[in-house]
Amino acid sequence: MTATIRPRRRLHAALTAALALALAGCSADKYPNTIFEPTTEFNREVLSIFHSLFFWSALVFVLVEVALIWVMWRYRRREGAPEPRHVHGNTTLEIAWTLIPAVILIVIAVPTVRAIFRTQAKAVPGALQVQVIGHQWWWEFRYPQYGITTANELYLPIGRTVNFELKTADVIHSFWIPRLGGKRDLVSNHTNYLWFTPDSVSENAFNGSCNEYCGASHANMRFRAFTVTPAEFEQWTIHQKSPAVFGATAAPVTAAAAPATTPAGAPVTPASYIGFSADKLPPYTVPTMPIPDGITFTPGLTGDAARGQQIYSRSSCIGCHAIAGNPMSQGVIGPNLTHVGSRLTIAAGLYPNDERHLALWIKNARVMKPGVIMPTLGKGEFDPVLGTTLKSGLSDQEIADIVAYLHALK
Amino acid sequence: MATIAANPPHAYADDAHSGIWSWLATVDHKRIGTLYLFTALFFFLVGGLEAEIIRAQLQGPNGKLVSAEVYNQLFTMHGTTMIFLAIMPLSAAFFNFLIPLQIGARDVAFPRLNAFSYWVYLLGGIFINVSWLIHAAPDGGWFGYAPLTTRPFSPGMNIDFWVLGLQILGVSSLAAGFNFITTVINMRAPGMNLMRMPMFTWAAFVTQFLIVLAFPVITIALVFLMFDRFFGTNFYTIAAGADPLLWQHLFWIFGHPEVYILILPAFGLVSEVVPTHSKKPIFGYPVMVFSLILIAFLGFGVWAHHMFAVGMGPVADTVFGVTTMLIAIPTGVKIFNWLATMHGGSLRFTTAMMFAIGLVAFFTIGGLSGVMHASPPADLQQTDTYFIVAHFHYVLFGGSMMGIFAGIYHYFPKMTGRLLGEGLGKVHFWLTAIGMNLTFFPMHFSGLLGMPRRIYRYDAGQGWDGFNLAASLGAYLLGIATLVFVFNILKSRKSGQVAGNDPWGAPTLEWMIPSPPPEYNFARIPVVTSRYPLWDMKQPHLTAEVPHTARGDREMKVDIAGKDAGTPHPKMAGTAARPAESEPHIETETFTARQLGIPMPDPTIKPLITALGMCIMLSAPLFMHHAQIMEVAGNAASAKSAMTMFWVIALGGATLMVASLYNWLLTPLESHHPHATE
Repeated sequence: MTATIRPRRRLHAALTAALALALAGCSADKYPNTIFEPTTEFNREVLSIFHSLFFWSALVFVLVEVALIWVMWRYRRREGAPEPRHVHGNTTLEIAWTLIPAVILIVIAVPTVRAIFRTQAKAVPGALQVQVIGHQWWWEFRYPQYGITTANELYLPIGRTVNFELKTADVIHSFWIPRLGGKRDLVSNHTNYLWFTPDSVSENAFNGSCNEYCGASHANMRFRAFTVTPAEFEQWTIHQKSPAVFGATAAPVTAAAAPATTPAGAPVTPASYIGFSADKLPPYTVPTMPIPDGITFTPGLTGDAARGQQIYSRSSCIGCHAIAGNPMSQGVIGPNLTHVGSRLTIAAGLYPNDERHLALWIKNARVMKPGVIMPTLGKGEFDPVLGTTLKSGLSDQEIADIVAYLHALK
Repeated sequence: MATIAANPPHAYADDAHSGIWSWLATVDHKRIGTLYLFTALFFFLVGGLEAEIIRAQLQGPNGKLVSAEVYNQLFTMHGTTMIFLAIMPLSAAFFNFLIPLQIGARDVAFPRLNAFSYWVYLLGGIFINVSWLIHAAPDGGWFGYAPLTTRPFSPGMNIDFWVLGLQILGVSSLAAGFNFITTVINMRAPGMNLMRMPMFTWAAFVTQFLIVLAFPVITIALVFLMFDRFFGTNFYTIAAGADPLLWQHLFWIFGHPEVYILILPAFGLVSEVVPTHSKKPIFGYPVMVFSLILIAFLGFGVWAHHMFAVGMGPVADTVFGVTTMLIAIPTGVKIFNWLATMHGGSLRFTTAMMFAIGLVAFFTIGGLSGVMHASPPADLQQTDTYFIVAHFHYVLFGGSMMGIFAGIYHYFPKMTGRLLGEGLGKVHFWLTAIGMNLTFFPMHFSGLLGMPRRIYRYDAGQGWDGFNLAASLGAYLLGIATLVFVFNILKSRKSGQVAGNDPWGAPTLEWMIPSPPPEYNFARIPVVTSRYPLWDMKQPHLTAEVPHTARGDREMKVDIAGKDAGTPHPKMAGTAARPAESEPHIETETFTARQLGIPMPDPTIKPLITALGMCIMLSAPLFMHHAQIMEVAGNAASAKSAMTMFWVIALGGATLMVASLYNWLLTPLESHHPHATE
């Protein structure tokens, strides 16, 4: 980063070293959402501008504060000191400290303007297109080149430029994966674009979040981005394109309903890679959100996926959710659940996708996540939006069945 | 320093000037300033309490103290309160109290309008906060972005309180703005040409132009939103194809000048405090004035730097990035000139001076981080993260509040006749300085390490825990600091050291008269021949070298009581006759205006009644909202009665306002002219 700035190289190097030291602790190990370990050309460009900004800011800061402290010490009131002379100004000095900052600003502005035009140019042809559609409060991801619709989990092939087409279904949101690239807003009735290439990155998982305040659960609108090898990505797209495995042929239910942990063990799955392995998840991508008070689920229930499919298909779930392969389920308001069983989190990155959390979510989503549109479904549950207790609704056993069904949708 | 102990610390000895009625009916700019000060300090405590709850919630990951809804209300109201109900009115307290004193006037141009501004502000503040009582405090952020704030996404009354409340407060600011502009232009003492005005008055003057130019823009934005919410228009209705960037542009065309509305008065205060406590005139007065004007002017051309992430395109990003960087130049000049003012001075580290130096030290950090997100690509990694929260708190707390605290310690003796305790003041300063940096500095890190703003909870293991804990501890320390400050005020009001006219050895007109000043301010209006009239009198050997401009005095034929009053500068002493009654002089005795035969405006409650009528009228739409909800719910009877309430309240309030306004307009400002003059 020092290459472009020759004359003041030593000072710059010293300050950059200081910055590096100060931020040495800011490594991704300790700070998993740091912007200081760039992984894309976009991030590298931004970081080099940041370094230049930081260098000049730190320089001015140090000069001003040292001058301030020196003046305070040197000119503190002392007994017997002569009365201060009334100086009213010094044109040369004042012109100097008008012009010097102006020059510094030019030094900052030139790479800034270059970066603006470079980062906002059209993405390279052949880039992976991803449509990002913001919803209160979850993320819809579509891969138009592959005909895939998924939610809250983004798969990106390493080394390929990805061009995000950003839209929103309701209010303004903002799309940000701190480790991968700068944010862009999802503005109603607008389409925005953002592109970058995750090139200096290995197979990894990153946190993303909404950054524009978008209502009650703005804090709970998170997502995960997985960088995978191109081969894995191809396999993943094949898998995502296929309809839901379970019951897709309306065949009688078999033992396949039991949650299969190894993709290889699922014979109906043609793809060899169906998603990021839960074992490989870095700890910072595993949600820690505690379950809210006042919501419980009968322990020890075993769900039956076939029954779950029937209950799901005749309940209000199908009004909002789509499952390719389940002709009853065609809703578009909520996340597409075709391969929900292979996702690692639910509720926009809020909870791990395990049986307990999914069951509680189905039972009373509005308690699990404030303001959420998905209604309270559990029998006898209190709906905090309507302010009423549900007289009829799903029993815990029925919910356990639905969970078994959804988890079978690897 | 406090030599004139004989001077009673209570100016308003006679009965007409005490009791609650005298405050409700006052049109005295000093009393209105005092009302502004204490009301704004009260709201500062309210906004501070909201901040403490926010920090308690975020102290650790997955906080459970408040719900998402309450948190969103808290941060919305914290911002709204601090900006519109605390910092702006704290500045207004100084505008009211100081402008007439600094320019040698008896009052502001429109004393009753001034009272009206205050009452509208108070009622507007109450109006917005009443929403807490019905659990419907505004929750759209202080920036209220559409379409989130439109009916489909915010069906509750929360946003209604905000939309209506801000319009009420806008009336207050606009009325005050026109009032002060007129005051500064028309009411200056003879000889006080613009380049002899004290720096605070200059800052205040420039700020008023920002207010009168910026507030109409947000008023338009708010009226659009109000029409969308109540009358079904489609300015921001996305379902009807509206472009939500309309709101963002309108809001920030107001919102960015608003930042300078918040900071320039503090700059002005510091420009009074630093020279006085350094015993040296301000360095580069003309440059300080021009930089104020330049900041204000450029401030209108940078608004879209709040919108670098919305996708305006590279050309707009470039333009707004560069204009934003330009603002750093005049701002830097101010910092350097303050340093140069202190250089070669004799610095007294009074509490006022320490807070002023605090502004120079801490605002610099906020200014520099501002340059960091003036660069649009860099801003993409910063905007809407805690880095921004750190930045603007360094500007608004490290800048505005530090300057205002400096102003309070500096001018408290002028307002009350008693010094604000220096011992407790030092404790207040150090706790504030440490608490502020402990609160806001870690936010730079949590922001750059990926923590978004406006989130009521965050996951553990993101590397943010330590920074948030530090910030929360700092916030608690700030809470303690503020309690020390409040205690100091309460204590010093009663038992502080008696100040006398001029406890600090200050150079400007307000220090020539008793503390607190009598109702008429100056028994004899002084003729001003320089920027530092009091220093000219007390230490002419020092000011003799000063290049005081005499330009315009002769041409202006400055004249008082029919006599040529072109008093020359001391160094030209003896070259012209000086009329005795207009010469700059120190007034030590306090009389009543009646004794001196000075006509003063009558106290009147009409501004209060008019303000009350207006606020009642503007609260009526809340009932219309209720009616609309009831109608949707199918409850026709309730809807009808709510609509009736709407009409009763709207027409009742309007009638009260118009009747009171007519009554006000038909009543002369002064009912009896004492016969003494002419």
